Amino acid sequence: MKDKIKTAFESVHAEETLKADTKAFLAEKMQRHPGRRTALHRRWIPVMAACFILIFAGFGSYQAYFTPTSVISIDINPSLEVSVNRFDRVISIEGYNDDGKALASSLHIRFMNYTEALEQILASEPIAACLEQNEILSVTVVGGDTAQSGQILSQVESCTAGQKNVHCASLTEEEAASAHECGLSYGKYQAYLTVQALDPDITPEQIQHMTMREIRDLIASLSQSDADTAASTAAQNGDHHTQSAGHRYQDEENKRVHHP
Amino acid sequence: MRSEQEANLAIERYADTVRRLCMIHLKNHADTEDIFQTVFLKYVLSSVVFESEEHERAWFIRVTINACKDWLKSFFRSRTVCLDQLIEKPADLSPDHQEVLEAVLSLPAKYRDVVYLHYYEEYTAVQIGRILGKNVNTIYTLLNRSKKILREKLGGDEDEG
Repeated sequence: MKDKIKTAFESVHAEETLKADTKAFLAEKMQRHPGRRTALHRRWIPVMAACFILIFAGFGSYQAYFTPTSVISIDINPSLEVSVNRFDRVISIEGYNDDGKALASSLHIRFMNYTEALEQILASEPIAACLEQNEILSVTVVGGDTAQSGQILSQVESCTAGQKNVHCASLTEEEAASAHECGLSYGKYQAYLTVQALDPDITPEQIQHMTMREIRDLIASLSQSDADTAASTAAQNGDHHTQSAGHRYQDEENKRVHHP
Repeated sequence: MRSEQEANLAIERYADTVRRLCMIHLKNHADTEDIFQTVFLKYVLSSVVFESEEHERAWFIRVTINACKDWLKSFFRSRTVCLDQLIEKPADLSPDHQEVLEAVLSLPAKYRDVVYLHYYEEYTAVQIGRILGKNVNTIYTLLNRSKKILREKLGGDEDEG
């Protein structure tokens, strides 16, 4: 029986037309989907490569977005610094004294254009109240990109054009290098250097707690004192043309003041 | 996806095996053609790496049987059918062969695979159990019962295996 069954099945063959039709069927299928030849792991390599590229590109974009290119230091008595990226967006805001920290935490200006952010800061209650009390607002722009810093300074001057007692200035990164080491914002650090030139005993901690109005007044008084001393010395020495260091510094300050 | 060359080689090597299994399970030539093409398409799309030709053959047998079963689940058909519906040229078969094949085809489906794999492909019960996913004792039982039925249908020759 075994042989009978075996030989019976032996006589059954796949027809040539069936084989030919199947070959044609498979050839058509393979033409339509050639990419499916790739083994599973090879299929995933370009997908993974694309994912890595996207991740790195995304990381690069993230880095570019969150790298500050300029800083706007705002000092009145609240001292705070607003970091701006290459896209003119605010990426961080930091207070440099107690009032500044309180103000920074109350503002929601992250990712805003810096001009809009500045308008919000000026309109905030603490700043508005200080300005009404005749306090001096100092806005200092610091940045390595002079083109952006210059543009920001111009925009800041435009924003503050309607305000009185506003002082706008710019600093290079080198000039402002030691500011944060002293615990001061860039604006107050600039004022500190001015005072220090007149009074070497002044400390950053003393400046930190002073309003810009008080610092300006101090500069003025120290300058006046120097002027009186110089005039007295000149009178004794017969020299009427010597300018005091204080006057020179005050002149430099006057050049930077854009608003009376 | 395997190459066209690999596909054509597989067709030459296993076409008869697939054809015979289709004959065991299916009711007409049209269904056979569909399943035949489906099996070889699965082969082309499969990423299985075969350890040997035996491994590959066993793969074809298992896939063909499963494809036939899946196909049959979708239809209600009579279990008995004339041979001339299953083979394109039934006239090519000798009367003896036709009688034997008809006897095999008249067996319940679960016996037919076992008979083919044992008597034609010459697999052992253990190997058949592995291919069909059945217990080896079940295979022995199926073989014994199929032998008994075929002996009654085909005459009293003793089974040599």
